[in-house]
Amino acid sequence: MPDKDIFPLTIRLTAARLEASRFTVALAAFLPAFLVFLGARDSCGTAMKFFLFFFPYVFLVAAQDMAGTEISSGALENVLFLRGVFRRYLWRKNFALAAAAGAYAAAVFVGLALWSLARGRLDPSWGLQFGLGLLAGLYYIVAAGALSYVLKGGANVVVILMAQAAALLGLLFSATSRSAFIDHLDAGKFPDLVSRLKFLGFTAVFPNLIVSPRFRSGALVAAAGLLAALVLQRVLLRRLELRKEGRA
Amino acid sequence: MLRVTGLRKSFGPVRAVRDVSFSLARGRTTALIGENGAGKTTTLRIILGFLKPDAGAVETAAGRIGYIPDQPVFLPWLSGRSLLDLTGRSAGFGGAKWSAAVRRTGERLLFDPALLERRPGTYSAGNAKKFACLQSLAVGPDLLVVDEPFSALDPPSVRRLRDLLAEARNGGTAVLLSSHMLAEIVRTSDDFIVLRRGEIAARSDLAEFLSRFRPSGAAELESAFLDLMRA
Repeated sequence: MPDKDIFPLTIRLTAARLEASRFTVALAAFLPAFLVFLGARDSCGTAMKFFLFFFPYVFLVAAQDMAGTEISSGALENVLFLRGVFRRYLWRKNFALAAAAGAYAAAVFVGLALWSLARGRLDPSWGLQFGLGLLAGLYYIVAAGALSYVLKGGANVVVILMAQAAALLGLLFSATSRSAFIDHLDAGKFPDLVSRLKFLGFTAVFPNLIVSPRFRSGALVAAAGLLAALVLQRVLLRRLELRKEGRA
Repeated sequence: MLRVTGLRKSFGPVRAVRDVSFSLARGRTTALIGENGAGKTTTLRIILGFLKPDAGAVETAAGRIGYIPDQPVFLPWLSGRSLLDLTGRSAGFGGAKWSAAVRRTGERLLFDPALLERRPGTYSAGNAKKFACLQSLAVGPDLLVVDEPFSALDPPSVRRLRDLLAEARNGGTAVLLSSHMLAEIVRTSDDFIVLRRGEIAARSDLAEFLSRFRPSGAAELESAFLDLMRA
């Protein structure tokens, strides 16, 4: 199959998969409804802040079981994916998922921005925050994608969420120490090397942080993580074989 | 249509394929035969690009390649019709031409068109096999790779598929099939290659083989092949 035909194929397959996932469809319907509720109860600014912090999770949900089950089930051993097309399909799936999640997030963002504009409360800095949230979302997709080469089902997303839960628990426990990292986070200042390294690690696990103006320096970590995950996926894909004996 | 040169593949300490070389011409059906673990499936999977050879090369001039797996598995979120539409688009077929090819091939395979609205993962083993045949044969492949084509099919469907494979071959398709059903191999193939412990143990034009051994019945034919596979 020519290279130019693989992306349209990937888009169609990815769109059909997202449509078929009840959880994804339910979440996609729930989020705007919840934002409207939040905006009506409090303010559209609050709804926008909530959205900006949490929308990278849309990308994470979209990336659940990105490759694992397709590889292990034998479904890629189809006439559609012969002569290495399965590798190019799995690679392009990153971009197809990013496009789908990005389009959805942009539509919700524009809706909220118009609502805020109508109320005269539009904050121009939201645009930059949205861009940083997109970076965090892309990082989620590529990192979860890389994990899905070794984990089946939605375990790739579960592992990321568990790492985040562990990071939050660690943060809570650090509150008892004298030089608490939580205080540095609260101030958005990291005076020594250890606290800076902790911040880098925390951002790598919790990229949503970079949306906050205090933690914008973490964008470099998210960008580096995105690049590293892309390189890792390339390496994994180059080595990937569809082995019959490894089937689920 | 296909040239395989010096293929080697190991899985850990197991040397699955060792220096396998052969070529396939247009309008010929070649059967790969051998005992379990002889390297047939590994060879097919390297040709299809699912496995990477440790050494050797696969060259093909085929624009369209078809593949009928032994036990087909399909993407679980697509209906049969959606999967066929994607197959047609990928092969460069237009809507009406593709629909006609699917209808014609489906009728020949005795495939119930109502099944197309369901997901192939819900089909019986026989219907899943017919669907895989439909997906590959409707594109009119230049090269068709078939792994155990007749398994899971009922006798009328076996006959239909046999006819379709013969028609594809007569139309210029190079067919490479792997099967344990020796009687079907004799009916469908022009040449055969015997693999033993990952190596080519014998290869021959089938007509020449039959004239040399002159088997008088199925039992003698089976014995002649088994001698080749185990010699």
